[in-house]
Amino acid sequence: MTARFPPCAPDPRKAGIGLRTAHFEALARSRPALSFLEVHSENYFADGGPSLAWLERFRADHAVSLHGVGLSLGSADPIDREHLARLARLAGRIEPALVSEHLCWSSIGGEHLNELLPLPYSEEVLAHVCDRVSSVQERLGRKILVENVCAYVRYASSTIPEGEFVAEVARRTGCGVLLDVNNAWINSVNHGTDAMRFIDALDPSTVGEIHLAGGEVTAEGVIDTHGAPVFPEVWALFEKAVARLGAVPTLVEWDVGIPELAVLLAEAAKADAILASSIERAPRKAAA
Amino acid sequence: MTATEGLARLQAQFAAAVLGEDGAGFARHLAGDAGAGLRGLAIYRNAILANRRRALRAAFPVVARLVGDGFFDEAALRYGEACPPGGADLNRYGATFPAFLAAYPHAAAMPWLADVARLEWAWHESLAAADAPGMDFAALSRVPEGDQPSLRLLLHPSVRLVRSAWPVLSIWEANQPDRDGTPEREDGADDVLAWREAQRVRLARLAPPEAAFVDAVARGLALEEAAGITDAWDFTPMLQRLAVHGMLCGFSTGDRVPA
Repeated sequence: MTARFPPCAPDPRKAGIGLRTAHFEALARSRPALSFLEVHSENYFADGGPSLAWLERFRADHAVSLHGVGLSLGSADPIDREHLARLARLAGRIEPALVSEHLCWSSIGGEHLNELLPLPYSEEVLAHVCDRVSSVQERLGRKILVENVCAYVRYASSTIPEGEFVAEVARRTGCGVLLDVNNAWINSVNHGTDAMRFIDALDPSTVGEIHLAGGEVTAEGVIDTHGAPVFPEVWALFEKAVARLGAVPTLVEWDVGIPELAVLLAEAAKADAILASSIERAPRKAAA
Repeated sequence: MTATEGLARLQAQFAAAVLGEDGAGFARHLAGDAGAGLRGLAIYRNAILANRRRALRAAFPVVARLVGDGFFDEAALRYGEACPPGGADLNRYGATFPAFLAAYPHAAAMPWLADVARLEWAWHESLAAADAPGMDFAALSRVPEGDQPSLRLLLHPSVRLVRSAWPVLSIWEANQPDRDGTPEREDGADDVLAWREAQRVRLARLAPPEAAFVDAVARGLALEEAAGITDAWDFTPMLQRLAVHGMLCGFSTGDRVPA
């Protein structure tokens, strides 16, 4: 099959934003310079219609990142082959620069909980997840990135620190890592762990994307809502992360209570400034 | 017990604890203090239910407006218990919500509610249906006159027909964001055709013979049979309407299936 779109890689010196229906018109009009646009893959699983037509239109000008929320990589259920086939069809159609999924589970016994649920970090689960990541990469014919999730509970059966677990999935399967700095920070606050220790455990050459997002501080702890500006502490951790990792394509996520496009672009510009300063200090050797 | 069996058991127990609000039994699987574990499970329960509610609300905005937030959220919760999502794509969650509402005791005073939901689901499906090339009218015009009665027409994948004993289109129209909720008609049946044109879903009320004809075409009947469903009725204007609005995308003659 010949390529329908020009190859397009995210610019690690600039941030991307999530592509949202509410912003379609404004984005098409203003065509801001963005490293990439990211979508939730499942929102474009339609057989046809306007959502796909818009995405193809934006793909003509931008690199696109397909970010899945539903593959349930860590479930004990068999991989949903139909879901995977839809993802493969979408990837064939859009020719994304990045494809990512979460290191979590969301379904069991055929029932879908539609939430990114944490895994116990043990040798057995590591082997299981690695098999699944390899199988997905084989089916898609490409490398994927796996994202660390926010965990509101921790399991008694976990024996491996999260950073080592994520790093080992990348090492064994050849997949990349989507480092969610916000999730790492929230976990460190909620569980009293060290977010930088998590980041230090990752092999910098495997980190192919960074996520930033806002959340909500509640009596139950910090909740990852993706519905507010990025916390100052998360910006600070992001600075430390790129100082160690170099500039990495970065996305500011905002999924609920979506603000005007200008607000998102302003958050992205803050990330741009931090990425630019990291490049001045230490140019990244090669994009992942 | 294999590693996957152990994981399957843990995940099944997690799901039961979160959805059944029985966190205490699961606490022994969690690290840290029990209170923090229970608070964590409660966060997941709230998030799962909110995601399901949000998906249903997006697909059924008119039903949500008609019944109000409290009723809708309770119905969404009960529906999720009766028919939990069978897939990860929440855009396809809710296909059986109309049937659920039809049998939902608290909706018994609103007998039209389930049909409004059916119309909304038809709209929802139409928007995401496959694209299809337009009808090759040049080829259609070359069909010999003698073969025309055996013509079978293929409708565009976005076409849906909703037939109701209630004025569902009037109700739907009255509950769009710019309207105050007062329907133009409060009784009478509505047969509604839904289709996608220029990337927007359109709805139109059909007369009973028109609906019977579209239904027959959709079931793959030949033109002669489809036309015969209603006596002494000229199907040509309806056929033209389907053609003009891009609702036809293929045909076959004889016994072949249209493609």
